[in-house]
Amino acid sequence: MINPVKVWLRPPHGQGEPEEVEATPAVLVPRLIAGWSQCPPPAKKDKQEVKPDVDS
Amino acid sequence: MSTARLQEVLICFGKQKQTDIATANTVGQMLRLRKLNAQLANPKLNTENDADEYGKGHEFATQSFQTSWDAGSTLEKYLSAEIAAWAMAFSLGKVVKSGTAPDLTYTCTPLFPANGDAAELPYFSFVEQIRPGAGVVLDRMAVGCAIEGWTISIGSGPGRANSKINVEFVGSGKMTEPSAIVVPAATLEKLLPSASLALSINGVNYVSSKNIVSLESSWKNNILLDAGFYPGSGFQTAGDATSGAIRGRLEFGKRQGTLKFVARFENGSTELTKLKSQTTGTAVISLAYDVSNSLELTWHKVSFATVEIGETDGLVTVAVECLPMYDATNGIVSAVAKCGVDSIGQ
Repeated sequence: MINPVKVWLRPPHGQGEPEEVEATPAVLVPRLIAGWSQCPPPAKKDKQEVKPDVDS
Repeated sequence: MSTARLQEVLICFGKQKQTDIATANTVGQMLRLRKLNAQLANPKLNTENDADEYGKGHEFATQSFQTSWDAGSTLEKYLSAEIAAWAMAFSLGKVVKSGTAPDLTYTCTPLFPANGDAAELPYFSFVEQIRPGAGVVLDRMAVGCAIEGWTISIGSGPGRANSKINVEFVGSGKMTEPSAIVVPAATLEKLLPSASLALSINGVNYVSSKNIVSLESSWKNNILLDAGFYPGSGFQTAGDATSGAIRGRLEFGKRQGTLKFVARFENGSTELTKLKSQTTGTAVISLAYDVSNSLELTWHKVSFATVEIGETDGLVTVAVECLPMYDATNGIVSAVAKCGVDSIGQ
C-alpha cells in the first residue's frame, strides 16, 4: 500500500501547532479556505541524553 | 543594423514569488515559456503639466512632470500544465505544493483576509528581451507584477487553439533596464488539449453525453491599482521624487469568477428546469496531458443565472451562464494543477 502524500499546515493567524495532513483536495481545500497555510515541518526535538551525576 | 522580428522576443517570469513587491526575482527563480500574442509589457510613464496653473501669464504648458508609472500586459497561450499551475498559484494566491519532482501537485485557493490571509497577491518579475547583450534591442524587467485575471477557453475542433488561456497581469511600475537576467532554457510545455476535457456541472456529465460545445471560465482580481500609490509608496529611482511614483502594494478588490458554456439541447436536457428551480451544484472542469500534468478547476457551488436556447452549426444548443457562489466549506473555487515545474508560487 502506498503511503499518502502529506504536507504540513499551520493554523490561521499562526495560532496553534502545525498539523500534518493528507495532500488531497478534500482535506486541503476546506483548511486553506479556513485560513490554514502550508509550512515547513516542525523541527524535531532532540532527545536529551541524561547522564547520571557521578560523584567522585 | 538589422531589423528585429517580434518572434525573437524572449519572455520569462518568476515561478517563485518575490520576497516583496520591490525585490525582483533572481535568475534561478525564472520560468521561460512561449506565448501567442504580440503585446509587450510596455511601461507607461504618466506625466502632468502646468498648463492650467495660474500665475504664468498664459494657458500653455511650460513644465512637464513625471508623476507615476504603470506596467502590465496579457499573455495569450495554449493551455498547458505549466502555465495553468503558474496562473492558478499567482492569481488565487494560496498554494500548497505536494509530491516530489517531476510529479508535483499545486492545490490553489483564493486568499481570505478574514481568515488571516494577506490582501496582496504573490508578486513576480516579468522579463522581455530581444537580442540581449552587445546587440540589444530590448532588455527589461517589470518588477512587482501580480495577476489581474485569467480566462480559460475550451472549444470544439481539432487544433491547439481549442484550449487556451489568457492571463492579464499588472505591475507596480518598477522597471529594471537592462534586466540583468539570463533567460533560462525554454520549458517544454505539456499541452492540455480540449479533447482531454472531463466536465461535470450541476449534476450533469456533459462529456459522457457528448453534448458540450464550448466553455469559458475566468477569474478576475480587480486589483486596486490607484490604492497602490499610497503616501510613501516610493519612486522609480529610490529617493528621486522627479522619477515618478511606483506602487507599493497590489491588493485585490472585489473578486469575480465566471463560468459559461454552450451544450447541445435535446429531449431531457435539464438546464431550463435547473434555472427555474435555482438548483445548485459543483462544476468540475478537468484537462489532462497525462497523470502528472493536468488541471482540475472546481467551482464549489454554482447555479444557472441565464439559460438561452439557440443554435450552433444548425443544431439546437443552450447557452448557460453560471453564477459561482461561496460554499461555506470549500469556498468559491479551487484548482489542483499538476506539472513537473518545481517551486511554483513558493
